[in-house]
Amino acid sequence: MKKVNLDQHGEALLQQYRDLRPTLEQLSQQAYDLLRQALAEQGIYVTAIEHRVKTEQSLAGKLELKGAKYKSIDDVTDLVGMRVITFYTDDVDKVAVIAKRIFDIDWQESVDKRKLHQLDAFGYNSLHYICRLKTGGPRFELQMRTALQHVWSTIEHDTGYKGVVKIPRKYKRQFSRLAGMLELIDDEFSRLRQELTDYRRQIQSLVKSGQLDEVPLSLESFRDFIEQNHFDYLNKRIAAVNQAEIYPVSMMPFLPVLESFGMETLGDVQRFMEENGEDAYQLALTQLAVTDLDILSSSTALQYLCMVYVLKHDGGREGLRFIFDTINGESEANGVLAEMMLEQAETLPFMQKNQ
Amino acid sequence: MNTTLKEENNELVMYFEGRLDTAAAPEAEKAVAPLKESAGRNIILDCSQLEYISSAGLRIFLSVLKSVKPKGDHVYVRGISDSVRAVFAMTGFINLFEFK
Repeated sequence: MKKVNLDQHGEALLQQYRDLRPTLEQLSQQAYDLLRQALAEQGIYVTAIEHRVKTEQSLAGKLELKGAKYKSIDDVTDLVGMRVITFYTDDVDKVAVIAKRIFDIDWQESVDKRKLHQLDAFGYNSLHYICRLKTGGPRFELQMRTALQHVWSTIEHDTGYKGVVKIPRKYKRQFSRLAGMLELIDDEFSRLRQELTDYRRQIQSLVKSGQLDEVPLSLESFRDFIEQNHFDYLNKRIAAVNQAEIYPVSMMPFLPVLESFGMETLGDVQRFMEENGEDAYQLALTQLAVTDLDILSSSTALQYLCMVYVLKHDGGREGLRFIFDTINGESEANGVLAEMMLEQAETLPFMQKNQ
Repeated sequence: MNTTLKEENNELVMYFEGRLDTAAAPEAEKAVAPLKESAGRNIILDCSQLEYISSAGLRIFLSVLKSVKPKGDHVYVRGISDSVRAVFAMTGFINLFEFK
C-alpha cells in the first residue's frame, strides 16, 4: 500500500469516512437497486451498471492532494460512485432523465463533460451527476457514458495517470484523435439503430397490409408474420381432430427449414401455406386421429406443412430427416422418425399423385 | 408406472418405467415436484423403460421444462423409444426438448 502523508485535517476527514463507511455501503446498494429497477421498467438495456464505495486508500490519496478543499467528508461527492455504460449515445440522455426522476440532483456540482469541449477539441465525454436519494443521506456520483467512451477513458486514464513521465503533446493529440473517431462511431451506431427501427416499422406495416411479396424473409419479418397469427387457422383445424389444447412454443426454429426450401419473401411463405395447407391437415389427421393426444404445440401446423412440402418435392425420408435435424439437432433417431412419418404419409392422395 | 429419482453427477435423474398415461399421471406429477423446485442442476428424464406416453405425460414433461428452463438449467430426455419419440414429433414438441 502506498504511504500517504495526511495533515491533521486530512486524518480527521479520513476518520469521518471510516465512521460513515457502513452508511455508504448501504447507499451504494440502494442507489444501484433503484437505478437498475428503473432502467428495467423503462426497457433500457445497458452494457453495465457498476457501483462502489471509494476505498480508504483512494480517499487518502485524494485528501493528500486536495484535502484542504474539503471542510467535511460530506464535501467529497464521489465516496459512492455509480457508473452506467450504455450501448448508444442517446441512451445516455435517457438514463439521465431517469436519474433526474428517481434521485435529487445537485446541479451546482453536476457536469456534462460532453459540452465542455471546444468545437475543435475531442476528449473525455461523459455525463456526471451528483445525486442524493430522495430520502436524504450522503451525496453520490453517477457517471453515464457509452461503451466506446468508457473504453477511451479507461485506456486514457490507465496510460495517462499511471506513469511518472509527463505525456508529450503528440501522444495527447493521438488520444484526442481517437476520441473524435469514437464519437463519430457512437453517432453512426445511433444512426444505424434508428434506421433499423424505421426499417422494422416499414416491414411491419407491409406485413399488416398484406404486401407480403415485398417483405424479404428474415428473422424479424418471420417473427412479425407469426405474430399476425397466420398459422392459427391450420393449428386450430388440426387441434379440432382431438379437441386438443394448443400449447404456445416458438416457431422460429423452422425459419432455416423454410429458407432451405428457397423461400425468399413472406409471400413465398403465404403461398407455401395455401398450397400445402389441406395436405398438411390430411397428414396430421392420419397421424393424430388414431391417438387420444389432446395437446399440440403451436408449431404443429408449420411442422406438417414442412413435411408435406418435402414429400411433394420428392425429398422423401432424407428430406423429412433434414427437417427434424434442423429443428432439433442432428441425430440418428431422426432417421427412424422420418421413416415412420413417411410410412404414415404414403397412403395420402398427394403422395399418390407424386408417384 | 414406477418413478425413481436419483442424483447422478450433480444432475437429477428421474427414471420412468411402464406407461405414463392418464391413470399414472397424478402419481407422476407428485414425483416430479422436486425436479421443478431444483435450481442450478440439469434434469434428466430417463425414458429407457418408458413404454408409452399420453397427453397427460406430455403435460408433466412440459411442466418440468416450464419450471426449470427459466432458471437456466437444461432438461434432457434420455433413452426415448422410437414410438415415444413419434408422440413428441406428432404433437410438435420434438424441438422443445433436448434428447440424449
